Amino acid sequence: MTTLLYTHSSCLDHDPGSHHPEAPARLRAVLAALSGPQYARLERREAPEAALDDVLRVHSRHHVEHVLGIVPKAGHVAIDADTVLSPASGTAALHAAGAVAAAVDAVVAKEADNAFCAVRPPGHHAEPNRAMGFCLFNNAAIGALRAREVHGFERVAVVDFDVHHGNGTQAAFEADDNLFYASTHQYPLYPGTGAASETGVGNIVNVPLRPMSGSGPFRVAMTGRVLPALDAFRPDLLLISAGFDAHRSDPLAQLMLEEADYTWITERLIEIAFRHAEGRLVSTLEGGYDLAALGASVAAHVRVLMSV
Amino acid sequence: MAEPTEPVDIAAMSFEEALVELEQIVRRLEGGQVKLDEAILSYERGAQLKQHCEKKLNEAQQRVDRIVIGPDGVVSAEPAKLD
Repeated sequence: MTTLLYTHSSCLDHDPGSHHPEAPARLRAVLAALSGPQYARLERREAPEAALDDVLRVHSRHHVEHVLGIVPKAGHVAIDADTVLSPASGTAALHAAGAVAAAVDAVVAKEADNAFCAVRPPGHHAEPNRAMGFCLFNNAAIGALRAREVHGFERVAVVDFDVHHGNGTQAAFEADDNLFYASTHQYPLYPGTGAASETGVGNIVNVPLRPMSGSGPFRVAMTGRVLPALDAFRPDLLLISAGFDAHRSDPLAQLMLEEADYTWITERLIEIAFRHAEGRLVSTLEGGYDLAALGASVAAHVRVLMSV
Repeated sequence: MAEPTEPVDIAAMSFEEALVELEQIVRRLEGGQVKLDEAILSYERGAQLKQHCEKKLNEAQQRVDRIVIGPDGVVSAEPAKLD
């Protein structure tokens, strides 16, 4: 079998403005990094638009109508200081969520071993009732809830190694003990949530990491906290909120990881997916703002996905 | 390991290489097999080797960070105290 790569041209058209770090160039860097000969085996698929029903499992109707309703005909509209919409943003957000939903369907149907969704806008800061932190709809959570509702899976997990805490995914999951969310993130840092004491109904694992801590504490956090809890949760499907802004070159944070750390954590997560979920794993792009580091890190991550 | 015929540049030596040569010098000096002028040269080189070994150890110590979990659950790395 193979690894699927979902993306959509609208994800390149979503443009929060010049000087915004969450730029179309990020996705171009990711796709360029995955264009080499060793990635020829990737099965490339166009991401469909998410169905409204899929989005509404995570977000309120008010939120969805608000976001899609304020998309500008021209120029930009800012939801907050960080979160800016251009004319293509609504379409891009629907395709980003649709990528994860379609990837879940394909992996569940065993059309492939696993999938990577090269999409933007990212999703993990988007709360059920609030767009923020460059995120409009919570792509990973939308995929997770579709897996439960449509495919009848009991337990679905999201592991998030983006350098920021995924407050949106936590907010969507924290009251439901058949959903699991675990995050390593720099702390203190935007958005300010993700303290170790935030544990939901025992289904949330937050491991904050001090700035400059690097590979050692990251791996200890994973092996000591996140992976044992994930193992005990026994997910039927594993999703990864794959942000690569914990890389040492990233301009927005200082966690000092390297490509080898992304290789390592991807291998560990695949092991757990095989132990409990017949290998079912869907990864989706979140942050990562140094273009060279982002390309190299995604390449390392996807190389491991393809090695299954 | 054969004794070096001419002195190797100490700065380029690994910790292990420097320690081996230092031990050879110590053995020769303790054995009383060397003439006084050679002994002085050997002593000086031995001191340089010892300094180099200490520098290498110090560098290694800085790389061995201790991973600590604070009372607030925040994970971080701090320099290990290898006393």
